[in-house]
Amino acid sequence: MKEYIIEKVKSIFIVLVGISLLSFLLGVVSPGDPAELSLSKYGYSPTPQEIEARRVEMGLDKPIHIQYINWVKNILKGDFGKSFSTKENVTDMIIRKAPVTFKLAMYSIVITSVFGISLGVIAGINKNKPIDNLIKLITNILFSLPTFWLALLFILIFSEKLGILPTSGDGGFKYMIMPAVSLSLITMSTTAMVMRSSMIQEFGKQYYTFAKAKGISKYDLYIKNVLPNAILPVLTILGNFFGSILGGSAVVETIFALSGIGSYAVESVFSKDFPYLQAYVLLTGLAFVLVTSLVDILIIIINPKIRLKGDIYE
Amino acid sequence: MKIKKSMKLVLLMLIMTLGLTACGTKETPKEEAVEEKQVVLAGRRHLAPGEEDAYYCSSILYVWEPLVRQGENGEPEPALAESWEMSKDGKEWTFNLRKNVKFHDGEDFNADSVIANLDRMKKEVRQSSYYPMDIDSHYPDLKAYEKIDDNTIKLVFNEAKPTQLYRMVNFGSAIYSPKNFNEEGNFNGFAIGTGPFKIKENVKDDFVVIEKNEDYWGEKAKVEEIKIKNIPDVDTRYAALKAGEIHGTLDLDSLTPALAEELKKDDKFDLATAKSTIVKFLVLNGSKAPFDDVRLKQAVSMALDRQDIVDTVYFGYAEPTTNLLNYSTPFYKEIKVNENMEEAKKLANEVLKGERVSVDYYISGADVTQKTEAEMIAPLLAEIGIDVNIKPMEVSAMREEMKAGNYGIGRERQGLSNGEPSTIFGRFMLTSGDHNQNYSLGYSNEKVNELMEKASKESDVKKLGEIYDEIQLISTETLPVIPLFNDMNIMGHTKDLKNYKAQIYGLDLPNIEWAK
Repeated sequence: MKEYIIEKVKSIFIVLVGISLLSFLLGVVSPGDPAELSLSKYGYSPTPQEIEARRVEMGLDKPIHIQYINWVKNILKGDFGKSFSTKENVTDMIIRKAPVTFKLAMYSIVITSVFGISLGVIAGINKNKPIDNLIKLITNILFSLPTFWLALLFILIFSEKLGILPTSGDGGFKYMIMPAVSLSLITMSTTAMVMRSSMIQEFGKQYYTFAKAKGISKYDLYIKNVLPNAILPVLTILGNFFGSILGGSAVVETIFALSGIGSYAVESVFSKDFPYLQAYVLLTGLAFVLVTSLVDILIIIINPKIRLKGDIYE
Repeated sequence: MKIKKSMKLVLLMLIMTLGLTACGTKETPKEEAVEEKQVVLAGRRHLAPGEEDAYYCSSILYVWEPLVRQGENGEPEPALAESWEMSKDGKEWTFNLRKNVKFHDGEDFNADSVIANLDRMKKEVRQSSYYPMDIDSHYPDLKAYEKIDDNTIKLVFNEAKPTQLYRMVNFGSAIYSPKNFNEEGNFNGFAIGTGPFKIKENVKDDFVVIEKNEDYWGEKAKVEEIKIKNIPDVDTRYAALKAGEIHGTLDLDSLTPALAEELKKDDKFDLATAKSTIVKFLVLNGSKAPFDDVRLKQAVSMALDRQDIVDTVYFGYAEPTTNLLNYSTPFYKEIKVNENMEEAKKLANEVLKGERVSVDYYISGADVTQKTEAEMIAPLLAEIGIDVNIKPMEVSAMREEMKAGNYGIGRERQGLSNGEPSTIFGRFMLTSGDHNQNYSLGYSNEKVNELMEKASKESDVKKLGEIYDEIQLISTETLPVIPLFNDMNIMGHTKDLKNYKAQIYGLDLPNIEWAK
């Protein structure tokens, strides 16, 4: 286990260096002059003198490798620089905005897990019965709907027409229902489908036939015997979903006017706000890597049999 | 039976999720219900970006006031400066300041406060979400400024500046309490101005609450408190208005023309419109064939049916134009839009000599209306022998291609930062103009260069206006760009509010009041 964790930390480090380099280079090679873009607002175009002064101020006149080294040095000190657009410290912006995104991601992951796993279990147990077909139909439909479209549809129905949920803002549980549901429906559908097929696979195994033949209760059979085995692939995808929820939250945050790290990421793409974009990519990348690594460790704890297969860590 | 059990399980899951998600969260009553006396509005961006912004908040919040403000028709109007005089040579401007005016912190407004603000502006170029606070841009060729007495200041310029007032409107002469910033000129708290509203609460990125300034020197605001929310998505903003969560929208692009039309169908709501400072146009690559011949540019302009596009794509919320200068400035000259397909065909034929040309037509992929607009323009250009390939692109990538001259037609827009038109003329029409280069316009006109030189030395506003009229006429004939239309500001509001009057930039916030 110790070696496994050391291996994980090493790979996290390599991945982070890769992410930082890529995010930095993507910012540099993408078209548009950030100095000019930071000054251009709603149709106003800056003069060449204003642009040049801004380039020097932003350090864009220095060679690229120097810009990268300076950036890495500063982030190691917890300083992501100043936003090109708002002039605010990026670290302060992230600290202010991250709780909103984290809250949204937690709501979504809860919905994804609870509904995805439960629907998958029900469908699996009732394979090819009407309830299974119904769940398959629903998850297939939900899987094919784009998040932004669902979000707008929810606003139209629940806010505009029925008036039971607020359209936007961050004020508590009521405000989180529509963003979290629209963000989690696709991942919930996938979770349900994976859970279902994983359950069905377990039904073909010897221990299942044996346990069933012993006549143990259905609860013991499905929940105590089948579920711990069937849930492993689902846990892995849930870890990945955390990352995709963080990424997907950008659109949902914008639509529901949640001032999380994602909504500003969308804005920063248009304004070429590199310091913010780099911090966003790096931190969401870090969160993604950490969560998937934690899930890997969790899987080993839940099912020690994995260790027998992957004996390199023993 | 099994189905029934499964259904029970689904129900149980639902209850569990609701229970789980409710844990650890608490309702914020403030957000829950709109306070009775509070007007709630929303715009696409946070209107008080805060201490890092050169202006702290937008002029449309009416927290700070300028010396000179922009009137209904774009003309300069007295604000904190009651009156002014220009010396005969146009190099000296004397401003008589309003008396008995106090800042929100109780400090007196006087010549010292104006000097302190000019000192702050002079220290460095300050960045803002609105316009850069740059003394060279608002006060070009400024030689000196001085206090004459407690209520009078004088600005001295190296050159004649007959239109200086236009450069000073709104953001150009914003005045804050001298105690509002530290030695470096950075804000030390909420913006403290002299305006009819004071900032009460500012939650970055979310909302700002402003309250009535009871000690305002002029006519006091009609409502006690206004909360202005940041709702970036226009569809959500519209839904929030329809759902009764907000009373109105404000700021630029607060509603799309299509949504405005939808809102009109509901008699609980009303629209407020005003001229916008934005002009939308096509740029043609004049650095190479076929658009290096002015006759083909004229042919393109004449082949268009601007009114049809305005009616179809913009639902009438725009005004066709062939003038480069936006219609929000008093210097704007009304020039008849000349469209004539037969004439266009004749001109195009003179250049193309019966051949057809194929060019790339770049549009912003982020703006869906540009695609519809381009699809309406394409068949008209085909009639005069120009086949276009419409290419939606990311704006920055599009501009790089334009600068490199790798395009035929592009769609752009330009805002007017103040009513003084010389900057716009210079940028598009002077041989050295930066937009002339950026868009590879290939525009060069000796007459324009001469007129601009003459304008820079002219101290008489009337004569200057005549020069600008001439330049506008030249622009419609020689077409550095192909103007399409002047934009409009559209704002929606519930009929619970009255006097909801849109302005060239913003809304007449102090005068809005409850209808009942």
